[in-house]
Amino acid sequence: MSRLAIALFDDEGPFVRASTRALARDFRILGQWGPYPLEIFEDHGDTRAIVWAVAITGILGAAAMFALATFSTYAYPFDSGGRPLFTWQTFLIPSTEFLALTGAIGGVIALFIKAGLTRLHHRAFDLAEVERASRDSFVLALACDTGDSANAAVALLAEAGAFHTRVVE
Amino acid sequence: MKPHTRPEHGRQWTLPSVRTLGDVTEIVLAPLMDRKAGRNYWFAFAASLAIAAVGATAIGWSIAVGPGLWGNNTSVVWGFPIANYVWWIGIGNAGTLISSLLLLTRQDWRASINRFAEAMTLFAVSMAGIFPILHLGRQTYFYWMAPYPSTMTLWPQWRSALVWDFWAILCYLLFSVLFFYVGLIPDLAALRDRSGKLGWRRFYGFFAMGWQGSARQWRTQERLHKALAVLAVPLVCSVHSIVGLDFAASMMPGWIESVFPPYFVVGALFSGFAMVVLIALVLRWSMGLEGIITSAHFDAMAKILLAAAIIMSASYASEWFSAAWSGEAADLALVRFEFTGAYWPLYIAMLACNVAAPQLFWVPRLRTSVRVLVGVSLAVLLGMWLERILIIMETLSTGYDPGFFRLYSATFVDFAILAGTLGAFVWLFLVFARVLPVCSMYETRKLLARERENDA
Repeated sequence: MSRLAIALFDDEGPFVRASTRALARDFRILGQWGPYPLEIFEDHGDTRAIVWAVAITGILGAAAMFALATFSTYAYPFDSGGRPLFTWQTFLIPSTEFLALTGAIGGVIALFIKAGLTRLHHRAFDLAEVERASRDSFVLALACDTGDSANAAVALLAEAGAFHTRVVE
Repeated sequence: MKPHTRPEHGRQWTLPSVRTLGDVTEIVLAPLMDRKAGRNYWFAFAASLAIAAVGATAIGWSIAVGPGLWGNNTSVVWGFPIANYVWWIGIGNAGTLISSLLLLTRQDWRASINRFAEAMTLFAVSMAGIFPILHLGRQTYFYWMAPYPSTMTLWPQWRSALVWDFWAILCYLLFSVLFFYVGLIPDLAALRDRSGKLGWRRFYGFFAMGWQGSARQWRTQERLHKALAVLAVPLVCSVHSIVGLDFAASMMPGWIESVFPPYFVVGALFSGFAMVVLIALVLRWSMGLEGIITSAHFDAMAKILLAAAIIMSASYASEWFSAAWSGEAADLALVRFEFTGAYWPLYIAMLACNVAAPQLFWVPRLRTSVRVLVGVSLAVLLGMWLERILIIMETLSTGYDPGFFRLYSATFVDFAILAGTLGAFVWLFLVFARVLPVCSMYETRKLLARERENDA
């Protein structure tokens, strides 16, 4: 990891202010962490894949269940009061339930992939400050290539309202 | 509890004593991490486990000897097992419905109640799933409901309501586990980071899956949570509609009614909210959560109970009206039997619990009175159970053919199994309350931040 300036904020206002100012002054944001989701996080990556994963796996699951019900009805024909074998209305019931289940499974798998989960260790965990994001603080890390830019970054973060700043070599 | 009035400081869902984001974390995690379980906890733990053991014994006895131990007879073939199934799954439906519906309608106050409501769903649906299997009589063959390449080339009968129930319970339970887990991941990370002991850090760390709370992770998790909520609402409605169809798809008087599916969904919400109110009161008192479960929450939940009671009253009235309007002799006889037959005291008690008792919530002061909340919630839970058993007893005791008229009376084993599931439900909840955060910390932090903004 190259040199970076890291800061802790106890409120979202100063954190958002620092992030905005950092971008305006051409600092590269290496990471943003928080104890709850913020609107500014919406700029981070396209999450349409999540919705597509839910929709596609859900529809595939429902179609598979419908196909199974149709196949098995003919594989084991059972005359129930003279009703037709292809009672598609009743096949829709388990298909609908299965749509929700397979959609959810697809969505969770997509979450793991898109959010980089199942990776139990990450370089970010080496920064003690990041742990505070799960508890009470917002964390912002800015890339600094030189000693001067590190000083400028720390000054920017402190001015925005950080209660803790540090340069990590 | 102080009556709820819109406070001058602009905060209603969190108390002013909760000042920082860290306070929320401490309030929720301190009972798990810092405080030992007290005598009351261990007493409840032992008592619920003992009651669950009695239920397990009754179930084991029923499996060994057969359904002859129950009150079911040749006319009332459904009896307690199906009534208990419908009651439990109703409670189970409410947790995910409350959580997803309130998420989609942007009701931020859900933050304090959604976690334990979702846990309630998991435990209640697990209890519900026991009963259809028990009721099969030959429980060891329950897996025949699942489609698999059997050597006898036998496949499930897709036109059977029993198969619909199998898929409804299975899919709903697994879906609810995933919905619960997706909302829990950030809080598991908080537990991982705060746990002192290595074993617990590893345990929570494993399930947190490497969550850091980065911008990208939040964005993805939030998107999925909402997508799942969109799936959850129709799923929940379909699950309890299927339970309603178990009755409505038959030809029996009192059951063959098109109002049953929505009526069952509202009934589920009604009993589920009553259970959520009770659990919220117990958790608030026992875990010191007064700062984040306020009188405003109870005020809101009591209003929902009142609204549900009005819809339930309309459903009962529509049942009587349909019988009168159709002029069908069997339907009219059934309504007459409800008010004058052998079970009339239970029917009147059901109306008192489901229709009359929640009317107390028209009085604002009573919506935040602990005694009234406990009393009405218990009444609703009892009333909804009576409704479930009466739907079965009244129709099957009378029906069309006088030759089949036969009354129903439950046995000790029936009550022992019901009590056992109640004990197991409480026991599971007690374990949950010591292992996982009962309130969603990250959503409550967000709620606090919004309230502080309004305050400023």
